[in-house]
Amino acid sequence: MTAFVLALVVGALFALGTFLLLRRDLIRVVWGLAIVGQAANVYLLAMGGLTEGDFETVPILAGHGVDVPATADPLVQALVLTAIVISFGMTAFALVLSYRVYEEHDTLDVSELGDRE
Amino acid sequence: MSPELTVVLAAVALPFAAAAVTPLLFHVLGERTGYAGGAVAACCFGLLASQYGAAGTVELAWIPSLEVTLRFTVDGWALLFALLASGIGVCVFLYSPAYMHGEPGLVRYYAALLAFMGSVIGVALAADLVAIFLFWELTSLCSFVLIGYHTDDDASLYAARMAMFVTVGGGLFLLVGFLLLSIVAGDALGPAAAFDLAAMLESSDEMQRALREAGLFVPVLGLVAIGAATKSAQVPVHFWLPNAMAAPTPVSAFLHSATMVKVGVYFVGRVRPLLAGLEWLLLFATLGLATMTICAVLAVASTDIKELLAYSTASHLGLITAGFGFTSVLGAETGVFHLLNHALFKAALFLIAGIVAHEAGTRRLGDLGGLRHDLPITTLVTVVVALSMAGLPPFSGFYSKELLFEAAVEAGHVHDIGPLEWLYPAVAVFGSIFTVLYSLRFLSLFFGSRPAPLGEVSIHRPPVTLLAPPALLAALTAVFSVDPELAVRAIVQSGVDATAVSPHEMHVGLPTAYSPAVGMSAVTIGVGFLAYPFYGWIHERIRAFPRTLPPVSSNWWYDAVVDGLTDGGAWLASRVHNGLLRTYATWTLATTCALALLGFAATATIVPADVVGLDAPPEAALVLLVAVAAGIAVVRSESHVAGILTLSILGFMIAIFYILASAPDLALTQLVVETLLLVLFLLVIEEIPEYDEVELGNVVRDSVLSIAVGATAFVTVLVTTDARPAETTALARYYAEQAVPKGGGTNIVNVILVDFRGFDTLGELVVVALAAISILTLIIMRTGGDSE
Repeated sequence: MTAFVLALVVGALFALGTFLLLRRDLIRVVWGLAIVGQAANVYLLAMGGLTEGDFETVPILAGHGVDVPATADPLVQALVLTAIVISFGMTAFALVLSYRVYEEHDTLDVSELGDRE
Repeated sequence: MSPELTVVLAAVALPFAAAAVTPLLFHVLGERTGYAGGAVAACCFGLLASQYGAAGTVELAWIPSLEVTLRFTVDGWALLFALLASGIGVCVFLYSPAYMHGEPGLVRYYAALLAFMGSVIGVALAADLVAIFLFWELTSLCSFVLIGYHTDDDASLYAARMAMFVTVGGGLFLLVGFLLLSIVAGDALGPAAAFDLAAMLESSDEMQRALREAGLFVPVLGLVAIGAATKSAQVPVHFWLPNAMAAPTPVSAFLHSATMVKVGVYFVGRVRPLLAGLEWLLLFATLGLATMTICAVLAVASTDIKELLAYSTASHLGLITAGFGFTSVLGAETGVFHLLNHALFKAALFLIAGIVAHEAGTRRLGDLGGLRHDLPITTLVTVVVALSMAGLPPFSGFYSKELLFEAAVEAGHVHDIGPLEWLYPAVAVFGSIFTVLYSLRFLSLFFGSRPAPLGEVSIHRPPVTLLAPPALLAALTAVFSVDPELAVRAIVQSGVDATAVSPHEMHVGLPTAYSPAVGMSAVTIGVGFLAYPFYGWIHERIRAFPRTLPPVSSNWWYDAVVDGLTDGGAWLASRVHNGLLRTYATWTLATTCALALLGFAATATIVPADVVGLDAPPEAALVLLVAVAAGIAVVRSESHVAGILTLSILGFMIAIFYILASAPDLALTQLVVETLLLVLFLLVIEEIPEYDEVELGNVVRDSVLSIAVGATAFVTVLVTTDARPAETTALARYYAEQAVPKGGGTNIVNVILVDFRGFDTLGELVVVALAAISILTLIIMRTGGDSE
């Protein structure tokens, strides 16, 4: 049942992100990118399996030389961590680019920008 | 005797190596590079001749993991073709320096000619489908370069593009045919033989049975036929060959009469034992005879000597195709023997056409005549080769045409083909009458009186380097005319052995008793000579035909297709590539969704059996639902500020979700990133005025697309999480267990990032640094007063 909820949430976030991507306002396009990125991260993490969190499942070991318990998948977490940082860089860059576009062209309407080419 | 790998490899590689050093050679030798090319060709000829009498396959591992091997087969058929290519190559290289004297771009010319010769020798010897295709397309490429030799001439470039379009396009059909063939061969003969044509030919009965069982016999036959027909200028794609006459004459003699255009018919002969049958007969005999007749008729309509020879070449290629099309052994004899005869007399004729054009300054048939006084030796040479082309006894062309007539008559005895039994011989005779006509017309250039326009031109005798090559070829033609059995014993018999289904000993000679074929020859020659006085009238009648009906003219439908493609491409580009982000996003996303959903549907995984494979705690579900609500708020937000704040809510909810999913590092990073982004957004927004979306017309379309994307993501999550392995993967387990011993840290995620996958993280840092530098540059460019 919860998997169903998860799928629903990822689907809904993708849909909302796509809708924003198609707007004419460049800032909203950047938001769309950010939302799609978040949805992809949630999906990626879910692929590693979601369990009720407790002391054991957190992928941080209690100390050196002790038994290794069955933790949540650390590999997907490493992947998602990288993805978060990269998407931060991308969003920031896209945002500043939009700002520059506005300064140069006095508009943020992508249709108008497209027509200029 | 089995062939030597090193010798065979050297014969193929030598021309390519020479092509690579052509610029250096030209630097040293200047226009005499042609003689160096002749030496290379002679070396190849010698290397190949040393393998005379050998039979077998040699191989060199090329891509062992894919079972791709560079295999070369040496047998009579391969040697005949390779020797022709290098032998005529010698003639053409010796002829070139005098003919091409003072032309620019000779480096390109000689390099392409050498590479071409290597490719043809490669096609002749290769026994591996991949290698054959490679060499096959290389010949097309070299032909493109050589046809477009006059780069400042539009007609030349048009012809080069046309030849490229037709022959390379046909080569792609051949490639598909090869792939189908290799799939069947891989099943029937084992994976090692998947691309091995020699092995397929060895067990041709088994292959043919396997092809028929797989239902691929007719497709493979058709695809091979398209590839061969485009290369060998068969109707209805014959039109590129007359256009290719824009190339310099030595190129026409070498590529477009003797060798490149013969690659198609050569390959037809090569696969003949593999695919022969009733379908084969119907396809190739019909194709060949149609080409032979139509192109002979068109040759009579020509006004230019090279055009006449080009149509004549296509017509003779049709004859060879038709010969191979007849499944009896006579068919193989026709094909092999005529390939040899035609290469000799047609290359000579082209070289003579070059001499005529060079000395008389024109190629128009109407302006030429009575050249025998000025060019006596050339006239003698022409008489031999033109009468051989006409198929007059006792010249060499007569014997192979006689074999065609016999094979055509025989066809009805081998297979039950209904009325085609008499139609094939009738068409063969009809086409041959036109062959006699245009051959006599070519010969008439040297006889009769000189037309007025030629009166004042003083015609010099050609230098010996121009005259020797065609004279040599004509001498060979004369030898084979006097003693055709010599040619048979020397090489034709072994060529027939390789191409016939059940070879037997071959005999040719002047007929001593009446047979249907003799009667057909008599009719052909008799009617040809009787009709010759009406040549002008027939010529005009045929020329009037395309004027009344444009679609039958050779270039009409090629232009229609190419223009249609160009216009279609421009129209599509303006629709898809219109500069609007929205259009790009729509096409990309819609295509991705359609492909993903189609993939799921095709593999029938669209509905997972049970969806309980993934247990998310209920509080996580709740947090995620809040995130979605925040997302809806972002979309509905009227102002930028509201949107940014709700976007942050979404981000923080995801951070909480990470905490609940036992991922504290992610949560920390997410919190930092979200905070930074919030600040950044607010800073930027301050500078930008509120933008009101004016037009709402596309909301419905956008919503439909968004829902489609969302649905695809939904299905993907369901399907893929269902396919997830139940336990922790071995990889995850490895990192968890080795974090302390190998990485020296207890935080597994951190150890992975900075230790196990340290270089990945370095790359990530580079990306972020680049983004930071770019941002800085973007801002400084403006404030630095560099505004433009």
